[in-house]
Amino acid sequence: MDTHTSHPDGSLSQIGQAIDHAAHFLPAQGPITVFIHHNTLHALEHLPFEKAVRHGAELFGCRAYLSEERYREELAVGRIRTSDITSSLLESLGDEADIFVGLLGTRFNLRRAILRHPLHAVLPEQLDWVIAESSAFEKFNTEADKDESQRMVSATRRWLGRVFGDGNGNGESERELKQLCEPFADRFSLAQMESWKPSKWESFTLNLLWRICLNEVARFPRHDHKRPPVRHRDFLYSRTGEDSDQLVNDILIPFCLGLLDQGFSKWHMPERDKGLFAAFYALHGGGGRIRDRWLRTLPDELARIHDGRVTPLQSVQESLHQLGVGENEIELFITQTLLALRGFAGMIWQVERRADRVAHGLPQGSLVEFLAIRLILDRLALADIARRELGPRQSLAGLRDYRFHRDVADPFQNTRCEAFAIFLLAQTLGWQPETLFRLTQPNWKKLLEEIRLFDETERLQVFHLAYERRFRQQSLDAIRNHHLARKSAGLDKRKGQAGKVLFDVITCIDEREESFRRHLEEINPACRTWAAAGFFCVAMYYRAADSFQYVPLCPIVIEPKHYVEERVAGEQEEDGRRRTALRRTVGATLHGLHSGSRSLFSGAATAVLGTLAAIPLVARVLFPRFTALFREHFDKLYSVPSDTWLQIERKASQPGSGNDEIGYSVDEMTEIVERLLRDIGMTSEWSRLVILLGHGSTSLNNPHESAHDCGACGGGRGGPNARAWARMGNDVRVRAALAARGLIVPDTTWFVGGYHNTCDDSVTLYDLSRIPSSHAADLEPARAALHEACLRNAHERCRRFESADLRLGKESALRHVEARVEDLSQVRPEYGHATNALCVVGRRELTRNLYLDRRAFLQSYDPSQDDANHSILARILAAVVPVCGGISLEYYFSYVDPEGYGCGTKLPHNISALVGVMNGAASDLRTGLPWQMVEIHEPVRLLMIIESTPEAMLSIIAGNPVIRQMVEGRWVQVATMNGESGDMHLFQQGRFVPHHPETTELQRAPSSAAWYRGWRGHLDFVQIDAAELVASGNRKTP
Amino acid sequence: MTEQQIFESLAVIVLASPLALLLFVSFVAVLPFRDKEKAIRSATYLAILAGLLASVGIAAGMIAAGESARLLDLGDWVAIEEVSFHFHVAFVFDWLSVPFLILIWILCGTVAAFTSRYLHREPGFQRYFILYSLFTAGMVISSLARTIEVLFLGWELVGLSSALLVGFFHERKSPVINGLRVWGVYRFADAAFLIAALVLHHMTNHGDFTAMTGHAAWPATDSNLEPWQAFVAGLLLLIAAAGKSALIPFSGWLPRAMEGPTASSAIFYGALSVHLGAFLLLRACPLIAASPALSAIVVCVGLATALYASVVSSVQADVKSALAFASLTQVGLIVAEIGMGWYVLALLHILGHAFLRTLQLLRAPNLLHDYFKMETAMGRRIVAGDQPRLLSRYPFFRDQVYHFALNRGYLDSFLDGWVIGPFCTVFRQFTRWESRWIAMWDSRVVNDAGDDFASGPIHPDWSEESAMDHERVSR
Repeated sequence: MDTHTSHPDGSLSQIGQAIDHAAHFLPAQGPITVFIHHNTLHALEHLPFEKAVRHGAELFGCRAYLSEERYREELAVGRIRTSDITSSLLESLGDEADIFVGLLGTRFNLRRAILRHPLHAVLPEQLDWVIAESSAFEKFNTEADKDESQRMVSATRRWLGRVFGDGNGNGESERELKQLCEPFADRFSLAQMESWKPSKWESFTLNLLWRICLNEVARFPRHDHKRPPVRHRDFLYSRTGEDSDQLVNDILIPFCLGLLDQGFSKWHMPERDKGLFAAFYALHGGGGRIRDRWLRTLPDELARIHDGRVTPLQSVQESLHQLGVGENEIELFITQTLLALRGFAGMIWQVERRADRVAHGLPQGSLVEFLAIRLILDRLALADIARRELGPRQSLAGLRDYRFHRDVADPFQNTRCEAFAIFLLAQTLGWQPETLFRLTQPNWKKLLEEIRLFDETERLQVFHLAYERRFRQQSLDAIRNHHLARKSAGLDKRKGQAGKVLFDVITCIDEREESFRRHLEEINPACRTWAAAGFFCVAMYYRAADSFQYVPLCPIVIEPKHYVEERVAGEQEEDGRRRTALRRTVGATLHGLHSGSRSLFSGAATAVLGTLAAIPLVARVLFPRFTALFREHFDKLYSVPSDTWLQIERKASQPGSGNDEIGYSVDEMTEIVERLLRDIGMTSEWSRLVILLGHGSTSLNNPHESAHDCGACGGGRGGPNARAWARMGNDVRVRAALAARGLIVPDTTWFVGGYHNTCDDSVTLYDLSRIPSSHAADLEPARAALHEACLRNAHERCRRFESADLRLGKESALRHVEARVEDLSQVRPEYGHATNALCVVGRRELTRNLYLDRRAFLQSYDPSQDDANHSILARILAAVVPVCGGISLEYYFSYVDPEGYGCGTKLPHNISALVGVMNGAASDLRTGLPWQMVEIHEPVRLLMIIESTPEAMLSIIAGNPVIRQMVEGRWVQVATMNGESGDMHLFQQGRFVPHHPETTELQRAPSSAAWYRGWRGHLDFVQIDAAELVASGNRKTP
Repeated sequence: MTEQQIFESLAVIVLASPLALLLFVSFVAVLPFRDKEKAIRSATYLAILAGLLASVGIAAGMIAAGESARLLDLGDWVAIEEVSFHFHVAFVFDWLSVPFLILIWILCGTVAAFTSRYLHREPGFQRYFILYSLFTAGMVISSLARTIEVLFLGWELVGLSSALLVGFFHERKSPVINGLRVWGVYRFADAAFLIAALVLHHMTNHGDFTAMTGHAAWPATDSNLEPWQAFVAGLLLLIAAAGKSALIPFSGWLPRAMEGPTASSAIFYGALSVHLGAFLLLRACPLIAASPALSAIVVCVGLATALYASVVSSVQADVKSALAFASLTQVGLIVAEIGMGWYVLALLHILGHAFLRTLQLLRAPNLLHDYFKMETAMGRRIVAGDQPRLLSRYPFFRDQVYHFALNRGYLDSFLDGWVIGPFCTVFRQFTRWESRWIAMWDSRVVNDAGDDFASGPIHPDWSEESAMDHERVSR
């Protein structure tokens, strides 16, 4: 193709822009120590979802949806119903449904018919095998209807009788028919067709049908839209079988590892602080090194660049020139070149941009230098392979010769493949050979075009819509019917709760807390629960008493200004210093052992004594929980003293990390406290005790540990945020300032901060010694309920773990999850956000006592307290939509394509440079989620149900570009719900349309445990017959 | 039951338990177990426990009786008197094999417990345990072997299962490539081993170790061989050991072997199979002792490997490669100790190192957690350091050494360029000659098929007919 050889150069600025643009397609995952969930296809978020997944599939070589086989399985088990497919098809076609396409009527009809039967897509190389193996020309396809097949045979018989019955058959169409039968005529003697057995007629019909299909498809061959590859490597690979990327990777991967290393290796890479170019020159530029043959000219090339002061960008330009990359394809070429080692390229880009987040950052411009180095190596590797395999004097540009590209070869087999698909379709749809034979050419063309238009991705899209639709209908109906039932019982209002509520619990919106809250309310109906983003509006850099560095605890989009420090209480300071000294010694010893065991001589000493390692080895693997208890005992000797406090009040006027600058002013505290209370609508009907629970997760042998932590804390653990908020809320000056702003928190209310570990289901409460004695008695029922909730939550979680017996009791379940945390061999310490599918923004009254199967993010919001501009809802959604949507989409993509978008199985993962994982010792860095985290997920787009009006939502969508892009692009589904009537509206095609419930019934269960017991899969949403519901109505438990 | 009978039945349990396990796991798919994972797990525990208890029992018996070696002789399985070849199956329990055996049971048992949870729900669960029991059987047989043929048998089982486990995730490309590479090195080492066996047969008319190493129990070293005989046989065994233990110049395969599941990397390349070469040298130590020249070579290879691996290990930024080379450092030292004649020390070194490295490798995915803990306790960040002052003062040498280490000492390039490359060139040339020769006989065979052999398997234009012709002609 000549586009490659015209315009050989692009200007430097054009190349720079192309690199910037290409960088957006790289994985946006930063160092794995802080795992931030985000939409895997964020770079394509400006497109509508369906277009983006299709485009992404092409760009990244990944899957867009689940496989057709999988959707058909779901159809077979009733997860998708045929009516869902019909509705989804209508929905996706819109106005195009009624287009007339001939033969079968409308486009809708044709597509529905195609979807009804599995279309076995056959690859060209499989075709002959499939035909022989399934006796495709002997017997009708098993999917075909028996009667329909019979009719087809007898019609063909009739037709042939008409044509050949009189023995001459000389008409125009007869000749054509004869010609058609020519290739297989020797097996069928037409003269004796009278005496053919039925099986012979069947075979003849099929052969005829096949010939007709093949003939017509060959007449209108498909113009393959598949874009040929742009990289020289792909051409050379398909031509010679030699992979230049493999040569390049051998050099580039160790280099990138050394460069990105955050402190694991013993020696650092020379000159790495000066950037990639300098380090690469130091490493490969000098003489006297042994190197592979293909790298012989590398030092000269590097010396030329170094001495000639060629900038990285100029070097890229040179390389593109030599490779003959045309101006109009620069961006595509650079994108594909960077994507060839996307994990490392992405990490370099991330570390370059957010150098503040890592110990060793990279200077600006590193990605350009990476690309320059990559292209130099590419050139050398390509030239070497070309010389070896294709002979000397091959120009690099000439390598991209389309004549030699194998993918576009053999159009005949492609035609046969397509004909075979239509051959099968005709059988299942009962298209008569005669009808097809008589179909005019324009009609054939139209039919073929229609079928080609409905390609695999389009078919899968309809299946996927049906898959989501079914879940959406069930969820919306369940929430609506639940609300109506509660309303009829008079439980939908908050008024008058004040006296009845013993304590409140505020958790994160995380869907893992859904079950925790449900159990709390089941255990003690006098408990009321709420949820807000788990950093509780306290955005801070936090330093724990035993830590030496500040970590940000807030959503990734916020850059905190305030610093908070945990300090040891005065009377324990002496003890604290002693313990710190001990801790330093222990740390240094551990580190000495860790690195020493890898060196020559101290390694020998440790190895000879290594037999002692047999004890921890056997103990940790065989008795993980017991070993952990034992170790904890030792850890206590040097851990931070129990009594600590937060330095939270600032003396200086401006915040900072200096001693006086730590903390917040009273005004800022008031701001934070008010913000949270108004967000969730906790402004009246106070109880005496309000507990805030941040959350996080600990696990061993898990490089993806941070992915289980709190998303709202930017992959951190939210305990300190809850603790800090409670301190602020209890401050009398803050309360006075709040009262002045019209928010009266009574003196009888006390706030307590805490931390919920979602992995071992433990709850820690902070600053209990500071609780006034008047509230000590209030604490007891709350603690009892929390403890019981931990037990029940662990029990509910265990049903998902195949290695936990379904018959486990509560206590054994808790022990089981505790052991998972400490087990080195456990690759699924918890399932994290897997199965998330819903997000409800509204009052808890809507979902209280509704079993949501740990699948719903829940954000508290009371529309009655919002102003006319819906400013509270707008600011809530500004965070909730991207965060929950991002989590949901990351799970979607990692599940749909675990190797492409996800990072595959965890088993061979190898922590590299302390920033990511590789497979084995030398692969690309793997990004996304591992299979073990997502394996039970159901890939559906997040369904947000918001207690608000369509008008309010439309104005919010219009007002916030991020929300607008996600909602209008259908990356999340949005429905509104009226808190009075329970009416719902679904956002579709830019407007809200009423949702029509399919049922007014809602199943009931006496308790959560009674419902989830004995089942590992997903469960329908049911109403839990809690005491209050049973008491208020005269309902019976089934 | 006499004491001898007790010993014999225990010895049979030791040998039979991994083989029975192999049989069970291989056929578990057709056995009526509902929970296959559980069945495999229980059977593995049972086999390991039986083997461990039997081994401990034998050790106790030996201590009680004050003996230093006991034999289990199963007689000649093949005897060709004309060429005085005997395939003699015999096993020896002495103070070399018994500690090694107990090490094998403990490590295999721990790793089985680890893997049964680590590989939970993995499609290849059963396949893993088939290879695992094959490996255990191989280790047990080779550690107990009293004749070189039996040792070779176990050695082959270990090699086969190792290579297949490297390629465990065979859906991806690089595990398969690397598994093949490991297999290639192993075969090369095996060839040296086989030649050594033949040479020994020629020299002593026996394959028994006693013939070459004398009748005294290990670690006594009274060889019956002449120094030159010991040198030749010992050198071949050293090559075999170098392949298996990744000594110079075969070291390149060790990090590549980390493609399998973490647990198999730990037990194979961190602990057991990487020590098998050293074990072979320990078994053949009288040969080494009999030839001073050989001893010197063994010490040199060992020290060079240790130095090489410790330099390379210093720049590895991924945990598994770093641990692989750290392992190799110690294996090199162990080999050097054997060359020095410090056999008991070498055995202790193997035992301690195997435990330590298994623990470290099993914990490798915990690195981030460990780093966080250590950094917190130390109150500072852990950072990569400079090279030794001698080097870091001169950038030229500093960069040179770093380049050397980052390219893993160019050993793979060396093997590719000087061994594998020429080998392939020569044999491709033979293929070309062969096809030309065939073409002379039958013009229907497509010309220049040799070129296609070089790049792809079979020429697509070969019809069945011409393939048959080809067969006829070659006969």
